[in-house]
Amino acid sequence: MTTFWRLLGLLRPYRRAVIASWLLACLAIVGTVAIPLLIGEAVNAIEDGRRSSILPYALAIVGAGLARLALSVPRRLVAGRVSLGVEYNLRNRMYGHLQRLELAFFDGQQVGQLMSRATVDLQAVRFFLGYGLVFIVQNLLTIALAAVVMIVVKPSLALVALIPVPFVIGAAARYGRFSRPALQEVQQRIAELTADAEENISGVRIVKAFAREREQFERFRHRVGRVFDQSMFSTRLRAFYNPMISFLPNLGQAAVLLVGGRQVINGSLTLGAFVAFNAYMLMLMSPMRMLGIALGMSQRAVASGNRVFEILDREPRISAPREPKKLPPGLGAVRFEHACLSYDGGPPAMADIDLEIAAGETIAVVGPTGSGKTTLVATVGRLYDLTSGSVLIDGVDVRELDPAELRKQVALVPDDGFLFSATIRDNIAYGVPDASLSRVELAAKRAQMSSFIDSLEGGYDTMVGERGLTLSGGQRQRIAIARALVTDPRVLILDDATASVDAATEAQIKGALAKVMEGRTTFVIAHRLSTIALADRVIVMEDGRISAQGTHAELLKDSELYGEIVEKGLPRLTTALSGLAANADETAERAKAVGL
Amino acid sequence: MKVIPRPSAGSSGRQRLRRLRGLAELLRPYRGRVAAMLVAMLAATAAALAPPYLAKLAIDQGIGERDADALTLIVIAFVVAALLYWAATYAQTYLVGWVGQRTLQDLRLRIFSHLQRQSIGFFSQRRTGVLISRMTNDVQALDQLVTDGVVTLLSSTLTLAGAAAILVALDWRLALVTFVATIPALAAGSVAFRYFAAGAYRAVREKIALITSYLQETLSGVRIVRAFGQEPRHIERFAELNEAHREVNMRTVKLNAAYFPAVEMLQAIGTAVIVIYGGYQALDSSLSADERVALIGTLVAFVGYLTLFFDPIQQLSNLYVTYQQGMAALDKIFDLLDTEPDMRDAHDADELSEVDGAIDFEDVWFSYDGIAGPDSGDDEVTWALREVSLQVTQGETLALVGETGAGKSTMAKLVARFYDPQRGVVRVDGHDLRRVTQKSLRRQLGVVPQEGFLFGGSVYENIVFGRPGASELEVVSAAKAVDAHEFIKAMPDGYDTEVGERGARLSAGQRQLVALARAFIADPRILVLDEATANVDVRAESAIEQGMRELLEGRTSIVIAHRLSTVIGADRIAVLDGGRVVEIGSHDELMKAGGTYARLYSTWAELAAA
Repeated sequence: MTTFWRLLGLLRPYRRAVIASWLLACLAIVGTVAIPLLIGEAVNAIEDGRRSSILPYALAIVGAGLARLALSVPRRLVAGRVSLGVEYNLRNRMYGHLQRLELAFFDGQQVGQLMSRATVDLQAVRFFLGYGLVFIVQNLLTIALAAVVMIVVKPSLALVALIPVPFVIGAAARYGRFSRPALQEVQQRIAELTADAEENISGVRIVKAFAREREQFERFRHRVGRVFDQSMFSTRLRAFYNPMISFLPNLGQAAVLLVGGRQVINGSLTLGAFVAFNAYMLMLMSPMRMLGIALGMSQRAVASGNRVFEILDREPRISAPREPKKLPPGLGAVRFEHACLSYDGGPPAMADIDLEIAAGETIAVVGPTGSGKTTLVATVGRLYDLTSGSVLIDGVDVRELDPAELRKQVALVPDDGFLFSATIRDNIAYGVPDASLSRVELAAKRAQMSSFIDSLEGGYDTMVGERGLTLSGGQRQRIAIARALVTDPRVLILDDATASVDAATEAQIKGALAKVMEGRTTFVIAHRLSTIALADRVIVMEDGRISAQGTHAELLKDSELYGEIVEKGLPRLTTALSGLAANADETAERAKAVGL
Repeated sequence: MKVIPRPSAGSSGRQRLRRLRGLAELLRPYRGRVAAMLVAMLAATAAALAPPYLAKLAIDQGIGERDADALTLIVIAFVVAALLYWAATYAQTYLVGWVGQRTLQDLRLRIFSHLQRQSIGFFSQRRTGVLISRMTNDVQALDQLVTDGVVTLLSSTLTLAGAAAILVALDWRLALVTFVATIPALAAGSVAFRYFAAGAYRAVREKIALITSYLQETLSGVRIVRAFGQEPRHIERFAELNEAHREVNMRTVKLNAAYFPAVEMLQAIGTAVIVIYGGYQALDSSLSADERVALIGTLVAFVGYLTLFFDPIQQLSNLYVTYQQGMAALDKIFDLLDTEPDMRDAHDADELSEVDGAIDFEDVWFSYDGIAGPDSGDDEVTWALREVSLQVTQGETLALVGETGAGKSTMAKLVARFYDPQRGVVRVDGHDLRRVTQKSLRRQLGVVPQEGFLFGGSVYENIVFGRPGASELEVVSAAKAVDAHEFIKAMPDGYDTEVGERGARLSAGQRQLVALARAFIADPRILVLDEATANVDVRAESAIEQGMRELLEGRTSIVIAHRLSTVIGADRIAVLDGGRVVEIGSHDELMKAGGTYARLYSTWAELAAA
């Protein structure tokens, strides 16, 4: 129930519009309810032979229709505006909130889940607040007003005629309640089906290579069958309730014919009133059904509202301090003091780390998967907060700084080279949107990307990302490096890509890195010797602890794990191949287009 | 995510014909039920049209004649009609649902098996997302039409026609007057509404698709957004997209606000016309009181039928957008089903019996260009392989070495006959691969892809994929053979652990191990292995090396090698460059020869020492 009230609260900015639309709706109802009454009166006039009354009644019907038209158009416009406004506000609020939530929140979430809240659930809320509420009010009023008129005209007949009303509403609401989960289950099974289809298309080479077409087809057929079964379950629900909802009002009409007809015969009811009753029964069919649907809608909206509020109520766990300190001038000395971090009560990802990095130093961080490398470097830019202990940059605890300021000084190059669907220029200038072209060009140059970019037809305005030019891993990574350089950060964090690239690219990346590391503190999560070679010092991590540190030579002597890492992390053979083929680039592109 | 229908609703006659033929073909197996469905629909419509007429009878015969018994009979008929309506509507809804869902099911399966028959080249030329959307979004659009649409579409049309016919039959003059007063405006309004609504709803879908993809991108890249502190900018941009969506959506609100109240208004006008015309008619002629009552009965019936006439029109207008989307989707699906598979087994293709595993490339030229033919010159097309001739003897391991794009994976694909060469022949045990069935070839082939592609399901299911029907013991021993057993056992559900979509819940190294086990259990004579380039966990690395050795043992293998240990361990090494085999021989031979491979090896050694 509280969710329901909170949903209503979303209408607050539109108070006046909501009241206006409800008022308009109520007035329109008067027009609707008046028409059958006018028909009845006209019939009485005809029966009595009052010729002069016919035209006025007919005109009154048109007048009622016109009044209803004049009220309905603005009512729909206002309600539509409110509904879209609520959706707009809520979606913005949700997106803004997601942008404020700390990174750790996203680690436990599927993007698809969040998306469905921002689209499907918002729609449900919007339909309810924009239309559903008005429907409920309008239809309840219509039924009530018609009932009042009927009772005034002939109480005994009215009581008989109105018997089906509660049953219809109840049935419609019941249907709304049952059909929703049934349909959701259909959607769920269709989602499974989609995943299956997707896998079979992406994995078509495996299916064909093992000649497993038959088996995969059977598996798919099974999933399709599951969708069919559930769809039929939901069809049966619909087949049962929908005709019932249409049937019940007929009983009311039958009662009017039977009882009302006898009353006309024995003279206790006028023919006009009888006709009016008949018309009311016809008229009420749709409000009864709509009321039921709107009630079902409100149940849905509450469920969706719960999911939306669940996100909005989740407080960001990392926020700017009230009075942020300024970062003193410095070159990016970093100190970890008893730094511990565990995600949601799990085993420690960082356990009591003490580490001092001098300004300008380059540190390579190595270790097996899950040893805490990524966590360690992410705490420098305060992407995650420590459970205990502290991280200091140039003597200031990162928690005392404004995160926005801090992150301008700590730049990240991710391992996947994630780029946005935008131009190369916009991608490089990402951290400083108003950066001049020359600044962007300088960054690209230092990342050794400028000659490639210049060779493109669109130059810096070439679109990249999902809907743009497809770049190789090495190219993406170098654009990511340029992006990190634009802010001229004190601390650079480089998560080296795990996929191997060919030697020419490797050499280029290495060259770019050596340049950009100058004059700033750099952390490199390294997977290959060539990157480790760039570091002043190597840190070996294992189970959230620093198991060894020193130079390459020292570690080879002291650390067994390091020896193992170096041995297994030797460059792949492909890496060693360079300058073999003159036309290799061409064929390489072709091979990529074809893919394996 | 986007379902964007074709730009215009106007479709050619040929398209319409194909739709009809395609639909007829889909419905043929269920013609009995389709017939029953139509009968139910007719019965439901007839039953729905009865009440106003019975109300008229009640007034004429019952009230007019002051005959209470007749009235009772009429009311009984009324209730019977209502019950018939209930039963017929139930049958109709159920049958439409059944036939519709069954047809969709058939359509999904047809698309699926149609895709399975296509060659690998077909998939390379098309985006996965587009193909998937044929099977999901497009079928979904039809689903919506089936569940919400077909019943309404048919029964509304029937009701509309029935109501019009009855109006004419009751009193054609009154009907004519009523129609003249309402239909021209109604028709014009409905046509205009459909025209504008189609565009408006399309715009809404496009805008919401933009919002969705922006959400998707910025949520996937949330780490970068945070690291660069660019949240405010994205919030602003998102608000812009959101605003654009609101604006176009407002157009649909305006359209609806104009159309639906106007239809209600027309209905009121129609009612007024009936009252005036009917009323004056009743009074003009010197009718008896009974006749007057009878006219009043007609009038009541008219008002009732007018409702039955106007409701379907509104419903049909509501449905129009759904209908249009469904038809556009149907066209796209038929387009797909009309593409012929481009690589079929030859008519007289032989079943390849059990092979020993000797592979022979004889002067093979291959290009991914569609235009390349057997006579294409050197300069016209880009050859991925040029005059490749080599033999792999039974049980031998051949390592392919070369830069990206040198032709290594192309060679591997030709062995699996994912493509046919433009010139030359690839043979297994002396059989030209074009002369044997694809299935019989691939049954004897094991393929280990680079990044260990797995299917959603358990670890067990993924291994048994290699040989359906293998026993549990065999699965476990396959896993043991490739050193995967230990990590599988260590997982919470062991072999029943769900790997997630495409194996996402396993690490890269674990995926590779499972892929090795899958190939092992298939026990192929010939193995095509593309070694992973990605760095995996140091601990997984040893296991993978060990597993590979086990797998290669005793089989003819072609390995696209990236690890030096693999290359050195191979019987022979072929160095590829620009689509040609430039060197071939054992490690020692090639080192002695001092050619490309020797240079390569020393570069590697340098890098390793760096």
